[in-house]
Amino acid sequence: MIKKNYLEDLNNTNKPFIIYKSGKGFDLYKDFSQKIILTNQNIEKFINKSIKLKSKNKETDLFIGFFGYEILNNLIGVKIKKQKVLKFPKGIFYKPETKIKFSKELNYKPLKIIKSNKVFKINLNNRSYEKIFNKFKKRIKAGETYQIKICTKYKNSSQIDALDFFCRLVKSNMAPEAFMIKDRNYSIISCSPENLITKKGNFITTKPIAGTLKKSKNFNKQKALAFFKKNIKETKEHNMIVDMERSDLSKICKPGTVKILKKKTVEEYKDLYHYVSLIGGKLKDKVSSLDIVKAMMPGGSVIGCPKISTLNLLNNQEKENRNIYTGSFGYIKFNGDMRFNIIIRSILNYQNQSEISVASGVVIDSNAKHEFNENYIKAKALMDLYK
Amino acid sequence: MIYIIDHNDSFTQNVVHQFSNFDDVQCDNYNKIDQKKLTKADVIVFSPGPGSPKNYTITSSIYKKYKGKKKIIGICLGFQQILYCEKGKIVEQKKIYHGYQSQIKVTSNNSLFKKNRNFNVGRYHSLKLKEPFAAKNFEITMRCAISNVAMAIENNKEKVYGFQFHPESFLTENGNLLIKKILSA
Repeated sequence: MIKKNYLEDLNNTNKPFIIYKSGKGFDLYKDFSQKIILTNQNIEKFINKSIKLKSKNKETDLFIGFFGYEILNNLIGVKIKKQKVLKFPKGIFYKPETKIKFSKELNYKPLKIIKSNKVFKINLNNRSYEKIFNKFKKRIKAGETYQIKICTKYKNSSQIDALDFFCRLVKSNMAPEAFMIKDRNYSIISCSPENLITKKGNFITTKPIAGTLKKSKNFNKQKALAFFKKNIKETKEHNMIVDMERSDLSKICKPGTVKILKKKTVEEYKDLYHYVSLIGGKLKDKVSSLDIVKAMMPGGSVIGCPKISTLNLLNNQEKENRNIYTGSFGYIKFNGDMRFNIIIRSILNYQNQSEISVASGVVIDSNAKHEFNENYIKAKALMDLYK
Repeated sequence: MIYIIDHNDSFTQNVVHQFSNFDDVQCDNYNKIDQKKLTKADVIVFSPGPGSPKNYTITSSIYKKYKGKKKIIGICLGFQQILYCEKGKIVEQKKIYHGYQSQIKVTSNNSLFKKNRNFNVGRYHSLKLKEPFAAKNFEITMRCAISNVAMAIENNKEKVYGFQFHPESFLTENGNLLIKKILSA
């Protein structure tokens, strides 16, 4: 039994903790005995070493944390030119000593109300967005990219109660990959719906989402599926991501084992329908954790396709560091099993600065105004938490 | 052994797995070519990739060196690469096919495949072959059923083959069969 006011007490101690969505409830990790701040120098060693530690099959025999976007680029040899940076770490992992399972929802009532700032500044206005959009369309016509995701950022300065934000977020937008990290000088809150890696033993799956539809009264799951199937633009984007993820998995899986386990299905969330596929394969015999991370990250569905040339186009365009956005959060167990998501629909609060990044895709038949608004809708669900 | 030359594409490993059904496959990036593997290979495959054939001069020189000596197969960009080396013009098309499933048909009597057969394929291309195109021993053997754009070339004399569509895509019906036939030709 978890005692009443557990979360209130925990939050009050000011000790770092992490919450990650589990099947029906949430897992809470705390009492961190190690904190590893990732750099380009230590990341490879960290990933490969983490599984050489002796596992006693304890539930806390794992490292949990995140890889930022930049370090994942660098890991696969993609360089990022000078950008405006927050000096936020490129990745952080923790070794927990305690794991607590919440079988249902989280009950938390803030002891004091922190007033957060409701006003956000956007880093790209409609016009500059459209400019970039048209530039990328030319690159699509020239065949340099087939699909590319432009990122916009909403920022403000705010003090926030991360746990309160997270509890309210999962009430309004529950997502299978939701998580939060609270540490002394930063917090991350996310309702990511997208699993990038689930590895158990020698089997690995990825579950890309391409296609989102807002719920309305006249829609049900079947109608949503019919909508996606009829919508040529959504179908093409989805097809591309499926073939790309098959290829990413094929780097590390035995030939002939990569299969589409669920092809273009609809998943229903509180406010949205997602168009989802599940792809899996059997890992080759001598694949390391590092090979897996390099093959799959950064997750293709939030970048565009093909990955390398699209990353280069994006990185030449973007003036500000993406930080955590389109990185991955999750854990590596000492036995080599992994679970990682793609960090989207997230808030990073660092030194009392909040940033919310969102992106939507440009394919040849997208419309700049529509995508710009789509970005706003995605950000709004998070901005609404500020009051 | 089949040597696949990767043009930094996000579909190349699908090609690798598809060809692995039939023979030992090696794959390297176009700017990290292993000369030993290249010499040893029975078949050279040019992968799909972003951009245009004129950007890949190394691949062009491999084509020129091994044409007629080894079987060469090109997919998407690889297909355009072969055409480009055969003095074909590769141009932007009005309608762009990225992630598109469409129907194509076999249009030639001399094809390894049966004339007038229709089938669904996955396409990822913004560029196409500008016609008329003529090169010695080459024939366009498949076309888009709607737009008539060239979808496959065969040179059964010098064993050069190419597909504008993606036989390895999950959108392509009987992709493995296509590759099997080309490999045994």
